[in-house]
Amino acid sequence: MAFQKVVIIGYGKVTGDILIYVKARQKDYGCQLEFIEHEIHPFSITEKICSENEIPFVRIEDKRELAAYLHKIREKTLLISASNNFLFPKSLVEKENVTIINFHNALLPAYPGRNAPSWVIFMGEKETGITWHYVTAGIDEGNIIIQRTCAIGEDVKAYELTEQLMTLAYEAFKACFDMVMEERAEAREQGFEPGRRMYRSYEVPSDGVFDLTEDTAQIYRLLRSVDYGKAGIFPVLRTKIDGQAAQILRYRKVPAAKQPAISDGGNETEGFIYLPLGEDSMLKLKYRKME
Amino acid sequence: MEERVLEILEEHCEEAIDYDGDSMMEDGVIDSFTVINVVSDLEDEFDIEIDAKYVIAENFRNKEAIIDLVKRLLEE
Repeated sequence: MAFQKVVIIGYGKVTGDILIYVKARQKDYGCQLEFIEHEIHPFSITEKICSENEIPFVRIEDKRELAAYLHKIREKTLLISASNNFLFPKSLVEKENVTIINFHNALLPAYPGRNAPSWVIFMGEKETGITWHYVTAGIDEGNIIIQRTCAIGEDVKAYELTEQLMTLAYEAFKACFDMVMEERAEAREQGFEPGRRMYRSYEVPSDGVFDLTEDTAQIYRLLRSVDYGKAGIFPVLRTKIDGQAAQILRYRKVPAAKQPAISDGGNETEGFIYLPLGEDSMLKLKYRKME
Repeated sequence: MEERVLEILEEHCEEAIDYDGDSMMEDGVIDSFTVINVVSDLEDEFDIEIDAKYVIAENFRNKEAIIDLVKRLLEE
């Protein structure tokens, strides 16, 4: 029996793109379509997309309410988890009438868990990618449907890589959508070792702290790895300046010629520090000393 | 100041310069990733801190709103 219903849950660009795509393909499968917003984001336009495309929109912020709502699904349903942080309970994953696929922003089995784009930058990986996989009771453990890879630019920041991966995820989704809907996707096992490292939401690269004597390239990787603009995904990075704790407010890679004669152009509590970064560049840090 | 704000905006989203509506986000002119880039460049250019509480759709509804935001922060 074919899927009678498709439910999409998630946020961000990839979710919006998938919503529009599935709506356009809905007539090919004659299924119902619904969107669930679980995490509210200030710039989300999924509600508008649903309104314009006549897609039923449901907002459920509470985790228990969401689980209960999903449990009530009686039709044979494909649940598409696109950029979504809700962990589906085992009882839901094991429901016979529900199949769940999830987009993970790394090349599983590597970097399972949260904030994968940050960890690949921090670890100095040269390549990453995306994985669409079936959801099982274990986090990011299900069989792989499709993967796509991309290079990690040497100056790329976490939010830029996230955007790049979302674009990749959408392309891969379109490539495997029919196979998933027709239940002919040849998913393969991940084959990971037991006890593999799982990245948790509370973990911060380098614990959010660095020392100015560290290799500047590593400091730069750390700064880029936690850079999600103002999203507040990670705490502000800290270091010590003149023996005093300081927050890093901003950073930028600048040409070495831009270094001013006096490296600290600030007052007693705020200022700039320039660290050599390769032959032609400097890492410019704006800091604020903490009381 | 206004000219420089517009230059930064244009650098990341040319369409935003000609946009004369009241909701660039909802109208699909800019997205959250563009906002991050614009905020980062504005902070650097004017040496200001744009706190997360200001990074909301209302303050990025059009180019005039962005200019107003920078003006307010420079006056603080």
